[in-house]
Amino acid sequence: MSDVLTLVFRTFMSESCLKKDPGVGLPSPAPCTTLMVGEHRVCRSLLLLAAVSAASEWGVRVVFFAQTQIQSLPVFLQRCSPSLSPESLKLLQQVASLHESPAPPSLLIVDRMEGFLRGTAGASHGGFQSGEQSRAAHLSALLCDTAAFLTRALERRGSSSAPCRVIASFPSEGDGKDSSPADPILDVLDRYFQVRCTLDPDRSYEAAAAAAQEVWHIYLSGRGLTELCCTDPRSEWDSLRVGFLEAKSTSRGEASSKLSFTGSPSPCLLALRVTYAS
Amino acid sequence: MRSLLPAVAEQLFQDIQKTYQETSQIPDDLLIALKFVFGSCALQALDLVDQRSVTCLTSPSGRKAFQVMGGSGHLYTCFLSCHYCPCPAFAYSVLRRNQDLLCKHILAVYLCQAMAATQQESVSDQQMSTLLSPTGTP
Repeated sequence: MSDVLTLVFRTFMSESCLKKDPGVGLPSPAPCTTLMVGEHRVCRSLLLLAAVSAASEWGVRVVFFAQTQIQSLPVFLQRCSPSLSPESLKLLQQVASLHESPAPPSLLIVDRMEGFLRGTAGASHGGFQSGEQSRAAHLSALLCDTAAFLTRALERRGSSSAPCRVIASFPSEGDGKDSSPADPILDVLDRYFQVRCTLDPDRSYEAAAAAAQEVWHIYLSGRGLTELCCTDPRSEWDSLRVGFLEAKSTSRGEASSKLSFTGSPSPCLLALRVTYAS
Repeated sequence: MRSLLPAVAEQLFQDIQKTYQETSQIPDDLLIALKFVFGSCALQALDLVDQRSVTCLTSPSGRKAFQVMGGSGHLYTCFLSCHYCPCPAFAYSVLRRNQDLLCKHILAVYLCQAMAATQQESVSDQQMSTLLSPTGTP
């Protein structure tokens, strides 16, 4: 799924700056599982963007799982998808029965995976208990295995929307979590998710001077990174400029760009420092 | 089962499969290699293979999963495409301590596939959903 995120980022590129990329219009055989780590608000916005982008640009079926009902959609999403209804979202338990679906989806998204990992009884204090590691592994493996099955089903049908991709979000440390460390859970999740997309708030002076706007850095890492369709990160983001989107190449192998989109609860400026970890 | 095994383990299973197809036996050198790579769970996994404890479940949709009867009589459902087992050893030695690559149940699945010793069973799609869901763990 990291090509889905690439699609989201590219959606904000201007036509004059968009470099021709034959792969950008169709799903590519990129790594299929991505874990998005960051503040819930930004993660959810990105997940929703990914869902709508994949559905509209690729015409694929997307299943979005959330434990709590989404009360309202971000403003930018309401504008581009007025018919999208939060009531159509399903819960994670249905992942196990996706093989019964006559129309296999091509993208599975799980919002706030940590919400599905806590035990039911005696876990009201929050945080993670030892059983959560096993639950994290079970849910991750279930998602991966389901995606693998759906990929085979799509390929048998000759569908161009294969493979089936998975994106899940998980909070970063300090994202309103209690004292229980999340690292053991992330270690488990990293076993199953090929790519990690980390969203870090920019706390530099420049970001603070942006007043009400927030600046975020996006880092991509993981063993699946070498399979990304964009082979040259510097050329990928070298000339991005569209209104509020500005990009500049900073150094070899690294590029930064600023991406802005409005959403609930407040406008946010998303800065991408796309760093490819070796 | 596509996996995240080291190359040496993948090669070992290929060698076991090739040799077993030709001789219906696993020679001592491969057994020693198996013990070296996987530690104490190698012998336990071979016991499970001897007891015909591994079953491949298939539903009409084509979905597959492996079910392994453990030594304690518990049935453990393992996935086809990635490593997961609900047994305590997997949770402790693999996930928490990162000591072992696999538990004996997953290793038994690999060995049964290499030795064509997997039992086959058909289930309905609804039964498969129950087996795979989080509520279906033992």
